[in-house]
Amino acid sequence: MLMKLNLKSALLAATLIPLGAMAHAEKISIAVGHQSMCTDTYTAGIIIKELGLLEKHLPTDGEYADAEYDISWADYSSGGPITNQMLANKLNFGVMGDYPLIVNGAKFQETDSLRTVYVAGTGYNLKGSGNGIVVPVDSDIYSIDQLKGKEVSTPVGSAAWGMLLKAMQDNNIPSDEYVLKNQSPAVGAANIAAGKIDAHSDFCPWSEIMEFRGTGRKIYDGSETGVPYLHGVVVRQDFAEEYPEVVQAFIKAVYEAGEWIRADPMTAVTEMESWTGVEKEVLYLYFSEGGHLTLEPSIKTEWIDALKFNHGVLVAEKAIPPLDFDEWITEDYLKVAYAELGVDYEADKAKMVDPAVANKGLPSQIWHPRDGVSSYGTLPEFLKSVADMQATGTNLNSTYVYDVETGLKLFGKTAFWVKAGDDYATFLRKGEAETFAAANAGNLVTFAEAVAEFSTDS
Amino acid sequence: MRTLGTIGDAIRLDWRRILITGGLFALIFQVLMLVALMVRFQALPNYAVGYNWIGNVIHIIKSTPSWSDIPPIINQEWLIEIGKMNYDYGTGISEWSLNVVPVRMAVLFVLGALVALCGSFLRRDSCSVTTGTTLRATTGIGTILVAMTNATMSWVVCCAAPSWVVGLAMLGLGVSTSLALETMGPALNLAGFGLLLATVFFLAWRKTRDVKSIDGVLRHA
Repeated sequence: MLMKLNLKSALLAATLIPLGAMAHAEKISIAVGHQSMCTDTYTAGIIIKELGLLEKHLPTDGEYADAEYDISWADYSSGGPITNQMLANKLNFGVMGDYPLIVNGAKFQETDSLRTVYVAGTGYNLKGSGNGIVVPVDSDIYSIDQLKGKEVSTPVGSAAWGMLLKAMQDNNIPSDEYVLKNQSPAVGAANIAAGKIDAHSDFCPWSEIMEFRGTGRKIYDGSETGVPYLHGVVVRQDFAEEYPEVVQAFIKAVYEAGEWIRADPMTAVTEMESWTGVEKEVLYLYFSEGGHLTLEPSIKTEWIDALKFNHGVLVAEKAIPPLDFDEWITEDYLKVAYAELGVDYEADKAKMVDPAVANKGLPSQIWHPRDGVSSYGTLPEFLKSVADMQATGTNLNSTYVYDVETGLKLFGKTAFWVKAGDDYATFLRKGEAETFAAANAGNLVTFAEAVAEFSTDS
Repeated sequence: MRTLGTIGDAIRLDWRRILITGGLFALIFQVLMLVALMVRFQALPNYAVGYNWIGNVIHIIKSTPSWSDIPPIINQEWLIEIGKMNYDYGTGISEWSLNVVPVRMAVLFVLGALVALCGSFLRRDSCSVTTGTTLRATTGIGTILVAMTNATMSWVVCCAAPSWVVGLAMLGLGVSTSLALETMGPALNLAGFGLLLATVFFLAWRKTRDVKSIDGVLRHA
């Protein structure tokens, strides 16, 4: 091995010294691969890039006093190409979802000399929300068991693909009873809009984009699998070992990006819309209080368990290489970054947000195009305000309610509404709404019908 | 040993034709893949990106400690990407593309050169029509196997990176079936080269035998 390295060094020296001599000795290139069409990666991607948070936290003293940083960002539509670029050392950092993260770690560990380390999370949903299965809005499919014999597309290898496989297994639908097609998010969404596919399974925020645009209807939410959905940051190990302070700076930037969102979600999502092209109303569903996404970079034990579970799925379905999780996952950089920020890492790690518990009692919301977001403690108050605003001719940006069963935040217009007496309840799925209606002497109504009850014209 | 000498003689005699055929084969194959994509998807490409392949390869060699890790990484490096981008959502997603991968071009060049060498032998071979047809068919099958497994197209329905099975999927084979066949690529590629090399050796052996046979007749005259 040593001889091989020596031979290689000699060859490289002969061919590359002139090139190396041209480079500035103190120049540190930092290349980040991120995904501007995947909401859960934003705190380690587009937000840091646009707000310049990495530059803010990069070390400038000690060994780094003369350092000149060259930061570059590359935007991808999935995690796979990011891993390829990291293998080629064109990217140092990669931000991606759970399944691509595992492929990243396993692909690197398959090599003789290259490794990545999983250094931080970006966001999560404890139960798996963010992934979802959507059908065309006019489809007569309302539950996953109706997908038998149907064509279902998904980006194979993504978190949504893993969720689809588990959802089908949980519902006793063997793979030979449905046709699985591999489609990218954009094509899947276009096919749902055109009614060319029976169902499409996708990751965040594609299901909600389709719902918001009125082309799709969610029939299955990833939370039903009960497997956490998380995203994270991987770094090439050689880079992390050479510049540990840069990795810590990156983690500080991730943390601050989360704080920036929490401080003013409405402004944050409006900014993010201008950076990514994803509608702010969709992003609000993720990043507002009670939204799908919890922003903690800490690596929790439950995440490691979830990643191990996901690796098992990938081994069975795609024959990916083994992955040594102990070698791959490290909290070392996180702990130093938190300590330097003055934040208690163990307390952050111990936090766990379950939407079913945390969102209980949260107010419903209306996003008015001029007045912004207003909150309402009860659904009748909410419906009355929607009716009043619509009566003035206002075209509301969006409305938000919560699923009684899971606590998930939903668009008011896509929820299933049950009227029982003078009260209302909202649901993600039609079946649960019908059960609730039957148990409470209620009946299913559309959002428009519920609003019309409070209209002064009616 | 004499057979190898015969192959060497054939290459020396016809090296220009072999080189030109190899180069043209690699180039024409790229053009054909692009035309196939445009015809299949009824659309013209709307983006093209050039990559600093040499710079990237140097960068990979510099930053990869183990020699054994280098070839598979370089194998994924592109020179040109040309395709159709869908801008309906966000910053755009590539729906289909042709990726010009220099390593694959080199393989196609070798393939074209081998075909030219086979052609060179066949032109000078005085075998029966049946044998000639069998040899041409073997060359054709070998060529198809190698060419098919070195296609570098990507299509969102199949994959996020170029894969040879895109060609199969475009021809109508189910995506699941195509993806299931993906792992067979290297074996099919080797089989194709195996057939071509076997044909070259067989033709060279025949030629060597014929020469020996003529020598024998003269000695006994």
